[in-house]
Amino acid sequence: MSVDTASPGGSPRVNEDSELKQGVTGRLLYFYVLGDVLGSGIYVLIGLVAGAVGGAFWAAFAVGVTVATITGLAYAELVTKYPQAAGAALYVNKAFKNKTLTFFITFCMLSASYAAAGSLATGFAQYFGEVWAAAPALVVALAFIIGLAIINFVGITESVVANMIMTFIEIAGLIIVLIIGIVATVQGKVDFSRITEFSTESNPALGLLAGVALAFFAMTGFENAANVAEETQNPRRDFPRALIGGMATAGVLYVLIAVTAAITVPIEQLAQSDAALLEVVKAGVLPFSVAVLTIVFAIIAMVAITNTCLVCLVTESRILYGMAREDVVPAPFAKVSSRRVPWLAILFSVLVIAGLLFSGADLAQLANVTVVFTLLIYALVIISAVKLDKLDRTEEAFRAPRFLLAIGVVANFLILGYVIYDDPGSLVYCAALLAVGVVLFIAERLLGGGRPTTNLES
Amino acid sequence: MHVLIATDGSRQSLRAARHFKSFADPSKVTEIIVLAVTRPLASVSFVDEISADAKAPKPLLSSSFKAEAESAVAVIAAEFDDWSDTKVRTRVRSGTPSAEINRAAKMSNIELIVLASGSRGLTDTVLIGSTAQRVQATAPCPVLVVRPVPRVKRTKKKP
Repeated sequence: MSVDTASPGGSPRVNEDSELKQGVTGRLLYFYVLGDVLGSGIYVLIGLVAGAVGGAFWAAFAVGVTVATITGLAYAELVTKYPQAAGAALYVNKAFKNKTLTFFITFCMLSASYAAAGSLATGFAQYFGEVWAAAPALVVALAFIIGLAIINFVGITESVVANMIMTFIEIAGLIIVLIIGIVATVQGKVDFSRITEFSTESNPALGLLAGVALAFFAMTGFENAANVAEETQNPRRDFPRALIGGMATAGVLYVLIAVTAAITVPIEQLAQSDAALLEVVKAGVLPFSVAVLTIVFAIIAMVAITNTCLVCLVTESRILYGMAREDVVPAPFAKVSSRRVPWLAILFSVLVIAGLLFSGADLAQLANVTVVFTLLIYALVIISAVKLDKLDRTEEAFRAPRFLLAIGVVANFLILGYVIYDDPGSLVYCAALLAVGVVLFIAERLLGGGRPTTNLES
Repeated sequence: MHVLIATDGSRQSLRAARHFKSFADPSKVTEIIVLAVTRPLASVSFVDEISADAKAPKPLLSSSFKAEAESAVAVIAAEFDDWSDTKVRTRVRSGTPSAEINRAAKMSNIELIVLASGSRGLTDTVLIGSTAQRVQATAPCPVLVVRPVPRVKRTKKKP
């Protein structure tokens, strides 16, 4: 035969004469990031942030978004250098070359994703309660996670188009809120004085920091973009643009939404609401039936949360699958069904998330756990970016401004310190989640018999 | 004749390729394209079960679904090593498998698509259909779907 084939190593002739550039485009990546970020935060957490800071809580969002976006710059730089799916674990390994630290970060990524999924499920149940108040929240949250697992089994998550539609719906929900804000302003039903109020018991700076920590949760999820890094058409050009563009868009929307919520609804009402953005809708400034609008908006919020939570489950099963392939956790986690789904990894993830839901942790606590893990990961990623500065640098690779990265590290550690100081109980959850990883690791040592591959990178 | 052989990295897809080879006339098949599709948003984008070292532990950090897809298409392509007059190309695309298979078939003027139907269990009939079903629904050319062997009932006959 005359072979015109791409060698497994990937010769430059791969797909050379293939019809078009093919794969995830920059635009799809942008919507992937935006959808993932939007779903995790504003719908779920805005009431808590408002309660922590007071009327000026938009400032907490502004700071949280900025710190997260600086971290995003470090990710963008590293992804353009190493466009592989492993994400943070890969970068930390390259920078520190310490196997224990790499495993630790991998388990942190897994744990962060579990805690995020738990808080998202709780948030979902709160919005569901607005549509059907009789439904018990715990049952709804559990059913939600099980439903997502089934969607994963069937394989709908593969659909790039479905992902984009969900993102559009998420944006639509936020635009409804903005329109309400504009209409209310025109009608003179707003109170602008509220946006400079701090209503915390302690000093405003601490209140703001508390808000920032929570608002930070609203930006998590962007790191999942590394999932599709390998299949992005032109990662060097598209990845930084899509990642930073998506985060900036989300950030601007967050601040605008926060201002809108503050001027249209009294802060106490926001803080006490389970589904705070609904309070804005319920303010009744639009000429539609409030009841209908409430249900429509609750559904939009649930779609948003679903989108992000689906990505969480995909990320978790990928990490478990990858670790099983490496013999770090028991091999059955790498088993795939005939539909190429790592069913045991998904099932296990559902059990862990269910455990979190049963533990009685509330939304803020689970969000704190997520934030603790992600802040630690983010800080290490930024340090890795700086350490790897001289390595593998190419002409076209994106390079984040160094002074911004310095600010990012300090800010990440500052917020991390505050969260631990403010809610030491979250460390118990962190330890419990990491223990799950340790148990798997020990199970593999005892039952698997094999040794892990000694080299992390072949 | 231009033939496209799709693989999802499964042994079943290797069987499909061999089945095609068992009856096809090498002198009439001028070109074969071996295609694998990775699914960026799925939990596992691609699983290679047919390479010689498919079962060996893979380092997490250098794991690459694209590389797995590339080794899988290389294995299938190697099946046709002895067809000296047939040009064999390999392709890895990214997206929804059924859509990408049909798109590739249209672009390369393929006259026959060869692929395997995934499972022998309930999943394909109960759930919303398999890649094979979706390919045949919109394929621009004839499709050869190689079904899995039905489960052998426990008799003493050797398989």
